[in-house]
Amino acid sequence: MLRDGQAAAGNSAADWIRAIAEGQDRAAFASLFEFYAPRIKAMLTRLGAAADAAEDLAQETLLTVWRKAGYFDPARASASAWIFTIARNLRIDRLRGDNRAKLYAPYEMVEPEGPENPDSALNAAERDARVRAALKELSQEQVRVLQLSFFEGRAHGDIAALLNLPLGTVKSRVRLAMARLRNLLGDLQ
Amino acid sequence: MSIIHHPSDATLAAFASGTLDEARGIVVAAHLALCAQCRNGVHAFEEAGGALLDDVEPAVLSAGALQRAMAALGPLDIISPAIRGAAAVSDLPAPLSHYAVGPWRWIGRGVQWRPVEVASDEGVRVFMLKAAPGTKLPRHRHTGTEWTCVFEGAFTHDLGRYGSGDFDEADESVEHNPVVDAAHGCVCLVALQGHIELQGWLGRLIQPFVRI
Repeated sequence: MLRDGQAAAGNSAADWIRAIAEGQDRAAFASLFEFYAPRIKAMLTRLGAAADAAEDLAQETLLTVWRKAGYFDPARASASAWIFTIARNLRIDRLRGDNRAKLYAPYEMVEPEGPENPDSALNAAERDARVRAALKELSQEQVRVLQLSFFEGRAHGDIAALLNLPLGTVKSRVRLAMARLRNLLGDLQ
Repeated sequence: MSIIHHPSDATLAAFASGTLDEARGIVVAAHLALCAQCRNGVHAFEEAGGALLDDVEPAVLSAGALQRAMAALGPLDIISPAIRGAAAVSDLPAPLSHYAVGPWRWIGRGVQWRPVEVASDEGVRVFMLKAAPGTKLPRHRHTGTEWTCVFEGAFTHDLGRYGSGDFDEADESVEHNPVVDAAHGCVCLVALQGHIELQGWLGRLIQPFVRI
């Protein structure tokens, strides 16, 4: 499912973020922007945002990445996961206007003492490889329900209608795909 | 503390992706604050979200998007240590500190109720429940989901014993009659969709007087 060139860009993203944190490297920012801004816009559009709102949020996500570059910790998350969570929180905050983005603070705050399980701490490249390998292990069908449920925020009923399947089948496929992915990712920290 | 009952993977994934509604998200966040295993699960799904983001077909940006972003670059944030213990200022569990929480009110023998103010377009109400030791709640079913995170004490129903930190993800198909721990009582946070329907002649008799 994943093309190799994109995985490579995902890996250098951590270096770009570090270059921003250490030297306010504008060229590194431009590289990050060119890779992620069009993808964040696409993701937000799929989640139901209008094109201009999605682009504004993509801009804001990348500007937040710039400002908070010093907070990025490759031992805790890959660059793409970190950027994903920034876009997620901004989307909730701006488009929904509710308190949900704050719900992510308490459990993020529990972390600074270090990884939950230091022995199994993976470096960024290992973790990235593992996530990609896990996604490749899923069937096309599982990836599809995963994308719809996870990525596009579809409820089970919606997915059933889109895929033209009975609701019970969709529920069990979502459950299976999630469990499989979780299993493959294991204690990812 | 040993936690036995956890949110489903689909629920952790929905939380990680930001697509879970706020009302149910509060109860999940309350569990996450207590459960390292599920925090790891959410992180795993966030990694999956990152990989899906890398892989999505890119959209076309409007002309000059990069130049506008470059022009908006300012100073970086100065790194300050995470504000530790901010939640401890309140006597409430961490995720509730962002919300207005009403006073405790008696709603029946041995049971107190405390509303958490959160809007929901899916008809989900969030409240804390405090039940005295040994309280037997009437057999009931739900018209929607009923998600519960236990803070203190425990309750037991057909599916097991739910102690401190445990998460009970009941959907509309569940009918149960929880019994509260005889020694410690129970304090929990509930996100209830729709309303509960009491079963049996006694339940139907008292239904009009029960507010939840």
